[in-house]
Amino acid sequence: MQSEMLAMILAGGRGSRLKDLTSKVAKPAVSFGGKYRIVDFPLSNCANSGIDVVGVLTQYESVLLNSYVAYSGRWGLDTKDSGVFVLPPMERADAALDVYRGTADAISQNIGFVDNYDPEYLLILSGDHIYKMNYDKMLQYHKEKGADATIAVIGVPMKEASRFGIMNTGEDGQIVEFEEKPEHPKSNLASMGIYIFNWKLLRRILVADMKNPDSSHDFGKDVIPELLREGKKLYAWQFKGYWKDVGTIDSLWEANMDLLDPGNALNLDDHAWKIYTEDVTALPQYIGPNAHIDVAYITQGCRVEGDVTKSVLFTNSQVCPGAKVIDSVIMPGAVVEEGAVVTRALVAPNVHIGKNAVVGSKDSAEITLVAKRVKGDE
Amino acid sequence: MEQAFGIITSASKLTRVEEMEKYRPVGAFSFLGRYRVIDFPISNMSNSDIDRIHVYIGDNNPRSLVEHVGTGRHYNINSKHGKVQMLFSDSARKDNLYNTDINAFQENIEIIQRMPQPYVVITPSYMVFRQDFNALLQTHLESGADITLLYHKTDDARENFLNTYVVNLNKQKGVLSLERNSGTAKEKNIFMDTYIMKKDLFLDLISRAKKVSSIYQLVQIVNDSCNDLDIRGVAHRGFFAAITDFRSYYKAQMEMLDYNVAKVLFENNWPIYTRTTDSCPTKYMDGAKVTNSFVSNGCLVEGTIENSIIGRGVTVSKGAVIRNSVILAYSVIGEDVTVENQVIDKWANIIHVKELVSTPENPGYVHRDDII
Repeated sequence: MQSEMLAMILAGGRGSRLKDLTSKVAKPAVSFGGKYRIVDFPLSNCANSGIDVVGVLTQYESVLLNSYVAYSGRWGLDTKDSGVFVLPPMERADAALDVYRGTADAISQNIGFVDNYDPEYLLILSGDHIYKMNYDKMLQYHKEKGADATIAVIGVPMKEASRFGIMNTGEDGQIVEFEEKPEHPKSNLASMGIYIFNWKLLRRILVADMKNPDSSHDFGKDVIPELLREGKKLYAWQFKGYWKDVGTIDSLWEANMDLLDPGNALNLDDHAWKIYTEDVTALPQYIGPNAHIDVAYITQGCRVEGDVTKSVLFTNSQVCPGAKVIDSVIMPGAVVEEGAVVTRALVAPNVHIGKNAVVGSKDSAEITLVAKRVKGDE
Repeated sequence: MEQAFGIITSASKLTRVEEMEKYRPVGAFSFLGRYRVIDFPISNMSNSDIDRIHVYIGDNNPRSLVEHVGTGRHYNINSKHGKVQMLFSDSARKDNLYNTDINAFQENIEIIQRMPQPYVVITPSYMVFRQDFNALLQTHLESGADITLLYHKTDDARENFLNTYVVNLNKQKGVLSLERNSGTAKEKNIFMDTYIMKKDLFLDLISRAKKVSSIYQLVQIVNDSCNDLDIRGVAHRGFFAAITDFRSYYKAQMEMLDYNVAKVLFENNWPIYTRTTDSCPTKYMDGAKVTNSFVSNGCLVEGTIENSIIGRGVTVSKGAVIRNSVILAYSVIGEDVTVENQVIDKWANIIHVKELVSTPENPGYVHRDDII
């Protein structure tokens, strides 16, 4: 079997800044945008970019994530010679069982898997970003430049640049320097954690990296600097469009709120680039006789009988009569009972907000995460 | 239920939904926004563990039905020992005298003969209801009857269900006869075109029907057999709709707008499966006012929706008002357009006319792809 480009999605992280939202599921499996999970984005992007084989590297709380991504038909990746492969750390004949020690090590431990497909190029993705990208365009750029590696970058506001891995490039886009979270950034081109490598080269670097006791086995910290040291041709491919790292409760809430914006660049209603997800059995959304809806993003299975203002309601969530949901994200199966008021909050899946309970506040600096049942009037 | 295989028949010869049927058979009619009518019988079978299902394609223009049912994978049928088969027949044109269920069965007789299950459950593709066929088969087996028929008792048979058959029963629920609903009385037992019997008896009835008349139907030969066979009726409870004409199609969906009625049809432990289109959620913008409605995914709503059923990907523009209507997928209701008591077929654009208003008794219809 030969594939020109294989994709590997790094999906092992816990995403601990998402607090209780990831206490039982890995970050890529966290719900987003009413009916999706975060990992649907890279997987759908792969399917839409014509990539047939995708490895998903899982580690933290991976049972749900493993079974979710293994159902490759969801993304149309179930034709012959295509597939989504779940790759947790495993015991092998020539190596003891070890956790993935870093992003690069996750690939190193699966060199055998990649070799099976004998690809020319390897695409490395992260399982926790929200964006739509045609990886084939990036590959064309990589080929045009005759690059050894290409890194997708996005322009970020200069004052925020010190939070990112910043690429300093020459005029033609060749990367001359990479700085991880620089105090005084020289450019605003942030790495998106999306890489295309020539597989033969990456393979050699990874084999060496595995044995290097001083390495943290990380693409950003170890592999990219090593390639630059060796004088390899690294290019930055500038992505223009919506991209969001939903690493914190605030940013996850914000990315959901972005969907309410009429001009939202993510545009999930793009029939030429659909984001595919689990097919759930649910009625269409029902909006009751006394409901008030004022700017909302609502999906199937929802039942709205109260007021919803500037909010996103996920699959099978419920807003009962007299309840108010304002500036909030209500995750799958969550219920806001009669008379309850939810403001600037993110309600975790299947959580009930009891009768007349009040959670969150319009003045709070941070978004309130509600991960446990809130008792209301009995 | 390894004991029975399923047959889903096409709409009866009495069914006429003039305009809409031009585009697809009743089984492929949109129902409650995201379903098609045939999702109900197939899901009923799947949920009853019937995993060998024959779907008879017996109408004009079956393209959308075939496309929708496809491999049947989305109906949660075991992908190895189960399957949904679509069966065609040469005479399957609505205006063909020979287009009868018996002729369709006859043309596929080898397939029926080869089925390993000893019992058959037959149910139609133009009726909407929830029924556990496993339970019905148990009732059938316990009663020792030759044939069990499912019926729905109504007090609304004078104005409605006119193109269906009724079951006349004796006190012991024995079937005395089956006849057309003539609309002479309010209370009738509407026959749900649903039968359970042994496969061998079914085959025997097919051959007997052919001997009586070349255009005989199953319901007629069963009626003829009422004296010779032990035929019993079982009452169905819950929501029931027979889509036999345009009005009944509209009415069935309006009834769903009472959430308690919809709950009866859609129980948590009885999923109704359908084919996903991967539409995104629906976006409600500034100016949206929505009450008592079912709205499918992928819509963009900037106007008013009251007491209506909205299909996937519908655009409701600023100032638009939709009342008591059924809007099928991908239609556009333009700015300041008022639509009342209408069924708007797929891909239609209502942009030029500012008012499209009919009465609830005679709802209006806009053709697929029309621009008005």
